[in-house]
Amino acid sequence: MSDEIVLRANDLKRHYLLPGSFYSKAATVKALDGVSFELRRKKTLAVVGESGCGKSTLARVVTMIEEPTAGSLQISGEELADGDKTVRRKLRPKVQMVFQNPYGSLNPRQKIGSALEEPLLMNTPLSKSERGGKARAMMQAVGLRPEHYDRYPHMFSGGQRQRIAIARALMLDPDILVLDEPVSALDVSIQAQVLNLLGELQDKLQLAYLFISHDLSVVKHIADEVMVMYLGKPVEHATREVLFDNPRHPYTKALLSATPVPVPGRKKDRVLLKGELPSPIDPPSGCAFHPRCPVVIGRCATKTPHLQSVHDAQVSCHLMDEVQTEKV
Amino acid sequence: MGSGFVLIILSPVARQYFEGEDSTTMALLEIENLTVEFATAGGAFRAVDRLSLSVDSSDVLAIVGESGSGKSVAMLAMMGLLPWTATVTADRLNFDGKDLLTLSARQRREVVGKDIAMIFQEPMSSLNPCFTVGFQLGEALRVHLGMSRADCKARSIELLDLVGIPAPEKRLSAFPHQLSGGMSQRVMIAMAISCNPKLLVADEPTTALDVTIQAQILDLLLKLQQETGMALVLITHDMGVVAETAQRVSVQYAGQKVEEQPVVDLFTEPHHPYTAALLAALPERATSQTLPSIPGVVPGQFDRPDGCLFSPRCAHATDQCRTLSPTRAPARLGSAFCHYPLVRGAPQNHPESGAIT
Repeated sequence: MSDEIVLRANDLKRHYLLPGSFYSKAATVKALDGVSFELRRKKTLAVVGESGCGKSTLARVVTMIEEPTAGSLQISGEELADGDKTVRRKLRPKVQMVFQNPYGSLNPRQKIGSALEEPLLMNTPLSKSERGGKARAMMQAVGLRPEHYDRYPHMFSGGQRQRIAIARALMLDPDILVLDEPVSALDVSIQAQVLNLLGELQDKLQLAYLFISHDLSVVKHIADEVMVMYLGKPVEHATREVLFDNPRHPYTKALLSATPVPVPGRKKDRVLLKGELPSPIDPPSGCAFHPRCPVVIGRCATKTPHLQSVHDAQVSCHLMDEVQTEKV
Repeated sequence: MGSGFVLIILSPVARQYFEGEDSTTMALLEIENLTVEFATAGGAFRAVDRLSLSVDSSDVLAIVGESGSGKSVAMLAMMGLLPWTATVTADRLNFDGKDLLTLSARQRREVVGKDIAMIFQEPMSSLNPCFTVGFQLGEALRVHLGMSRADCKARSIELLDLVGIPAPEKRLSAFPHQLSGGMSQRVMIAMAISCNPKLLVADEPTTALDVTIQAQILDLLLKLQQETGMALVLITHDMGVVAETAQRVSVQYAGQKVEEQPVVDLFTEPHHPYTAALLAALPERATSQTLPSIPGVVPGQFDRPDGCLFSPRCAHATDQCRTLSPTRAPARLGSAFCHYPLVRGAPQNHPESGAIT
């Protein structure tokens, strides 16, 4: 039961067309360009990367806010990519989302009670009193007090608002929760409270998490599996232990070494990346990471690498070809 | 000072504007009992409460605290940048031998922006979208140093080069919307160091940036600090950034300084329960799957407790904590603002653990 696959994405793509104008030619932005992964019950997959790497596009595709351009997306065994409206409508409650900024994701004119009941009103035939009862039960589950039912969002602190957002996402008993940077807007002491709450809820409700973050220390704490993305493509995908103990892709190494560690005096040989994330409108040829890569070799600029299994990880890097051939 | 660097930062163009400047060895910035109150519709709100700090030249001090702990307000008050609703009082507010409290507005403008410079949190919104990078960069040079147009341009190119912006000549005519977040922050840093400040206040300089860019910016700030010998005050809430950059750390809670220690000592032996709890809540330091979190939230304007402000959230709080404001512990206990400062994790003179210690 606990290993049941609830979501399977295969070569998922989402491209945006930028219309041409007098000044520019029409272009395609490959925001998401071939991502495959599985989500299992009670497991957390973390997606890591810089802004512009397609993390949020992935969240929008998985939550069915946007349709994928290509590839397949199966939720509870049902194919979505070519599914019609009724299938999508039926599956939508299964995947819910918690947004980054709890100050912007709650309607300031809506009381907490009605914000929590709204998903039920739209999707279920429950009566008013049943909805109220469910909302109050959920408030208790996320650590809110009953008297909060009639309050407005501005009366809550950031941590409490994030609890409300989590409660609202859970109202329809989803299988999958997509968490888009759920703690990055919160202070450290509050962040710990919310992370603990997410851990508890996952155990209790058998949830699968797709955890999007750029904070590697949080990811290391909460994730079971980690996928590192760069310009719309996964560059490394491994279990948490493998990725943090033995990062293989140069970008993963750079990300890990750039993350400040709260241990003073520890001098790390930091891999400093030059430059910034290139524009996804005009990505570099070959391996998209090659202009910033510290260990670039000849064929990186011309040949596109693909994800390949290296020991117990999936890595997309030409340097891994050598590792493979040496092994063989 | 690296001699190669002096050549860059005081190139012939710039050197003539800095002649006659010498550095002194006394504390550069001295703040004693700084209090800032805001007049709000609900009465006076004390954002900074009897804060004392001292920064020497070439010091790197980090001010840590959660949002609403008065970190930024204290520094803005020091520079006189707060709106009229704020009342600033202090026993002492000296910078480089000048009393900032009694300076006239005109005199203060000569200090702020030249000897004290600040970098703000949001690089994208702190540059003026209507003017080019070159114009904004040259403004401080024209106003404070009276540089000529040609010198301004030469110096601006030097500065952009110094902060690692490729093709600086071309960037001078760029508008802020054409720059990425990291580039904007570099421009902000170039503006801040343009007049060779003695004190640079960086208010969450990397919070809005990606990790790889954050690493670049922090390295740049530290490099500039070491080479120019300016003092750096780093306001942040990221304990990782603190550990990697600061020499000294001052921890603030609800407007009060609760602890101050050298960085290594703070991370190995925090003396205030808040610092200890804050460090324990970091995912990196967690030993179990459940993080030791601090219950409750920072008190706001209307729920300020009596006595110690941290008492409602503190694991060691007693009736004394809830009624009496604590006194400051000696410097060897990190000047902890606590009735029972921690020694090796155990509260001192605590009624419940008195038998043990």
